[in-house]
Formats: sequence, structure tokens, C-alpha cells
Amino acid sequence: MHSTNQVIKFVLIMTTLVALTLAGLFTFLKPVHEANEALYNKKAILSAVATKLDTPLSEMSGEQIEDLFKTSIDQKVVNQRGEEMSEADVVAAGYKGGKAEHVKIRKEKKKSDADRLLPFYTYTNAKGEKSYIVSIVGNGLWDEIWGNIALEADGSTIAGVAFDHQGETPGLGAEIKDNTSWKNQFSGKELYAANGDFKSIAVVKGGSKGGPHEVDGISGATITADGVAEMMDRGMSYYQPYFQKIKK
Amino acid sequence: MGELINIFIKSAFIENLALSYFLGMCSYLAVSKTVKTAFGLGLAVIFVLAITMPINWAINTYLLGEGGMFGTDLTFLRLILFIAVIASMVQLVEMVVEKYSPSLYNSLGIFLPLITVNCAILGGSLFMVSKEYGFAESVSFGLGGGFGWFLAIIAIAAIREKIRYSDVPAPLRGLGMAFLLTGLMGLAFMSLMGIDLAAFN
Amino acid sequence: MAEAAVAKKQGMTFGKNEKKLLVDPLSTNNPITVQVLGICSALAVTTGMKNSLVMAIAVVFVTMFSSLITSALRNAIPKQVRMIVQLVIIATLVTIVELTLKAVSYDSYKQLSVFIGLIITNCIVMGRLEAFAMGNDPYRSALDGIGNGLGYGVILMAIAFVRELFGKGEFFGLKIIGASPEYWVDTAAEGSWMGWYQPNNLMILFPAAMFVIAVMIWIHRAWKPQLVDVS
Repeated sequence: MHSTNQVIKFVLIMTTLVALTLAGLFTFLKPVHEANEALYNKKAILSAVATKLDTPLSEMSGEQIEDLFKTSIDQKVVNQRGEEMSEADVVAAGYKGGKAEHVKIRKEKKKSDADRLLPFYTYTNAKGEKSYIVSIVGNGLWDEIWGNIALEADGSTIAGVAFDHQGETPGLGAEIKDNTSWKNQFSGKELYAANGDFKSIAVVKGGSKGGPHEVDGISGATITADGVAEMMDRGMSYYQPYFQKIKK
Repeated sequence: MGELINIFIKSAFIENLALSYFLGMCSYLAVSKTVKTAFGLGLAVIFVLAITMPINWAINTYLLGEGGMFGTDLTFLRLILFIAVIASMVQLVEMVVEKYSPSLYNSLGIFLPLITVNCAILGGSLFMVSKEYGFAESVSFGLGGGFGWFLAIIAIAAIREKIRYSDVPAPLRGLGMAFLLTGLMGLAFMSLMGIDLAAFN
Repeated sequence: MAEAAVAKKQGMTFGKNEKKLLVDPLSTNNPITVQVLGICSALAVTTGMKNSLVMAIAVVFVTMFSSLITSALRNAIPKQVRMIVQLVIIATLVTIVELTLKAVSYDSYKQLSVFIGLIITNCIVMGRLEAFAMGNDPYRSALDGIGNGLGYGVILMAIAFVRELFGKGEFFGLKIIGASPEYWVDTAAEGSWMGWYQPNNLMILFPAAMFVIAVMIWIHRAWKPQLVDVS
């Protein structure tokens, strides 16, 4: 048996060693972690316009993605009244970088509607054609889901979508992220009805008839798919004042 | 209040730690041969989950976060502190129970050391962090998660007691059958995903 | 525990006993199918082979170094706080793995999320420390750790292989069989001899892992009848 003194000494030495090792490693790797996180976010934004890219994202290196993002994406932060926000306002809201890419939409979800920051990206391809990318967030079955939606220059036709989730069931709810053919259905759908009213995309259980405002559901994941529809309806409506403004 | 009841129901039935995430499987399979022992372990899990979850919540919020006591990001200590809290709480509970209720200790005592390495306990705390729950929510999540785990182990133990009289192929006897049964129970629990939580509000 | 008595002689030789330490856990004493340890993570991460490989490497690293360190410190560790000390060693190693993975492969880190942290409560690690490392020299403990980590990894990869192939028609994320032209074998194409295959979504769901393990245990025990549960 060891005496109490020895036990305390051993525990103290061990704790110090462990804390120092981990703190050292953490500080050493922190810049890499932050760079990785930023890259992951940029990839998520760009994957909404995946169909418009010359090379698929999966074949690009990290640097190429950074480069592409820098040259082809123009970013700003807007609010629900359709006003653009200054960098100082974004910093004041708690995001050190001050740009749209630094805004964490999952954090924004907890704020009241009027206070939310809305990231807004404009993608311009080599030919000078524009598309808009917006970020939305909502609830799936288990946890939060979020995504980036790309719109054509008319502000109504969907160019592409990319969703992500915190913990949907693999093979069921997680299909919103993994199933490419399901996501491809969104391309070409419209956010505005013929009479000019805002009308979001509905996810139809049991097969859509191919209308401009509906897509197929996912079998076994009704709640997640409904979550996607709700998220699109609410999320896109937040951006409407700003879209009205740029249309003018 | 409705929100808390929702979390309880969700964590007990829909996101069942044992049957949806398959956490705590080691002790789940090892101690589910009879209903009596399964009952003891199940109770111990509820108890420990409900205690450790709020403590870990407090540690995560007030010590480790950037808004915490030290003002810096100490999240790299999260795993160590969580497991240390769980191990010491288990030991503390063991000592308290032994002192004040020897009868409870006799039925629960032998399971307590097993719980430290039960992934459902640590898993619960880690899920709580990733779901960004508040204090009351984490208590509700702990109770619900523990209750769900309790239900699962009682159910499998009851089935295993009965299946002893069945003619199972020799290589599947015991362990193999337990896995198959758990898989089937998991499938059955998936049907609970359809519960409309709004109905409880 | 019988294996605690193994290898009382010291030294860095690699003989029959040492080989046994490495090879036994791969089959007759497999941590998953025989000792029933470390099941939790085996189920959640096996939807794809890539995640399983990352997980397996992480576990081998943790079992090896925790055995090595615990064994080196085994005479210095006070008996009163033995459990906590072991847990702190394991938790430190797991945190190192987590931080490294986050820097090296952020995608895998995102996908494995809490399950990397759960290696701490993977009973294989703790089990080997208690059963072997506390009573043997560091060299043999490390071998034992590697052996058990590998035994776990092999089963993990096998489960993932079955689930990914039948569930998504993929192998390491590479599309192999499925009814779409983007797959390597387009089973829907006219004249394809594999035209019958449609990826089975059930295999991706959690319960499928249970069934796959059950079938593996069945095969393993039919092949080695001495492992059959007699109780």
C-alpha cells in the first residue's frame, strides 16, 4: 500500500504532466484546426453550386478550394429587413472575422428572428454568370439540420442544394446529405409561383408529380424530409426582403 | 416544462441509448442473463446518468468554455474531466449507498464499478455537449436516457430468460442470440421514431 | 485470468509466447466475438470502411500506448487510485488521437464525432490494462495491446465490408455495384449478369450491425466448437 502522501504526490505529478502535454499539443495544432474548419465550411458553401464547377470538389486540393472561394465568391451579411450589415456589426454580434463565412448559422438559430445574421454569397463563374448562395438551418428528427441553397440569377430557380446534419440516422435521415440523386431533384425547382408569390418547395411523401414546387420524400425519413421542407420555407423567406431589393 | 417532457420522451424511447445508438453494450450483454440482475444494473445506470449529466454540464459550461472561469478554450480537457467525474461519482455513490442503505448496496453494489466503463454514461455526457443542452434539459436528458437504457436491458433479459428453453443452434447459443435479439429490438424501436412530440405540448 | 501468468521471463525476445500475444486476439480470443468487449463503437462506425479503418487505427494506438505506459508505471501507481489513473492515461491518449485526427482529416473527425471520445469507455482498453498490463513488463504489454487492438480492428473492418458493400454497393467509398451508370458495375445496364442487385438500405441501419456480428459469431463458433457457450 502507498501512503496518502505518496498518492497525492503521484496524482499531482501525473495531472501536471497530462495537462502540459495536452495544452502544448492543443496550442500547437490550433491553427491547423481552425484552417480545417474554415475549409470545411467553404467546401459546404461551394458544394451548393457543385454543378457549375469545372472540376468536382472531391478532386480539388485544399489550396485549390481556398483559391476558388477567393476568386469566385463575393460575400456579405444581410438581415431580415434586407439591409446589408457592416463588418463592425458582424464583429459586434460575436464573429471575430467579420465576414459571412465566419457566421455560424447554428448559433444564429438560437437568436430571435429580427436579430439573426444571414450570410449571403454571390458565385460568379468564368463566363461572368451569377448565382446566389444562402444558408438555412432547421430541425431534423434527432437534431439540427442545415444547408446551403444556390439560386440562379433570377432569385427563384434553384441551382443546387447541399445539406448537412448533426445526427440523422445513417441510411434514412442522413440521406439528405449523402443521396446525390435526391438532392439533384431540387435543381430547376422554383421558389416563386407564376403569379409572383413566394412559394417554397414541398417534400411530397409517396412520390411527387414533378411540379415546380415539389420533390420526392425519402422513404423511412418522413420527419427529416418534412424538416427540410420547413427549413427551406422559413429560411428562404428570411432572405426575401434582400432579394426584393437586389431585383430592383 | 413541455420542452423538458419532450426531451425525456425523446431520450427514453426515440433516441434510446441502448437500442438506437447501441451504447453500453458490454455490460448490457454481460449482465442481461436474468431479469433480477438486469433490474439492478438498470437502476444504477439511471442513477449515475442523472447525477453525472448535470455535473458535467456545469464543468463544460463554467470551466471549459471560452466564457468560463478561466476565459480560455480548455475543451481539450473535456474527455479527461468527464471520465474523472464519472469515475469519482460512481465511487462516491457506492460509498454513500453502502453507508446508508446496506440492503440497496447488496443489490446494486456489485454493478456500480461496471458503470464507470459503460459507454452510455460517457456517451450521454458527450451527446449533451454536442446537442448544446442547458441545465434543466441535461437533467431531463439524463433521466430519460437512463430510463430508456433500463427498459432495454430489462426487455432483453426477459427474452433471454425465456429463450433458454428454445432449441437454438449450438454456435448461436448465448452471445450470438443476444446480438440477434438486440438487433430485432432495435428495429422494433425504430418504429417509435414516428412519435409526434408536438402532441405532448 | 490465465494470460496474466504468461511470459514471466523478461527481455526483448520475440518467441512463441510473444507471437501468441499478437495472434490469439485475432481469432480464438477475439475481443469482440469471444470476450464481448468494445461492442459500442463497433456498431456505430461500421457503415463505411473508411471510418472503420480510422477507428481501428485509433484503437490500436490507444491500446498499445496505454498498455505500455500503465505497465511501465505499474509499480508506481498507488492501488487506491488505480482505476482513475488508468482512466486518465486512456483519456489523455484518446484526446491526443482526437486532436491529431481533427488536424489530419477533418472529414473523418466530423463523421466519427463522439465515437472517438467513446474509445475511453471501450472496455477492450480498460480490460487489457487490468488483465495484462498491470502484471507484465512493458514490452509484452505493448504487444498484447497491439494484438487486441488489431483483433478489434479486423472484426470492425469485416463488419464494415459487409455493411458497405450490401448497403451502398461501395468499397472504401468507391462505387462498385448498383443500378446507376456512375457505379463500376452498372447492374441496371442491359445484359449485366449482376442485374439483380439493388443496394439494401437495411444494412446501413444500426440493427444490421447486430445481425452481422451475430452471423460472424455463428460462423466463428461453428468453426471453433470449443468456444460454444455451454450455459
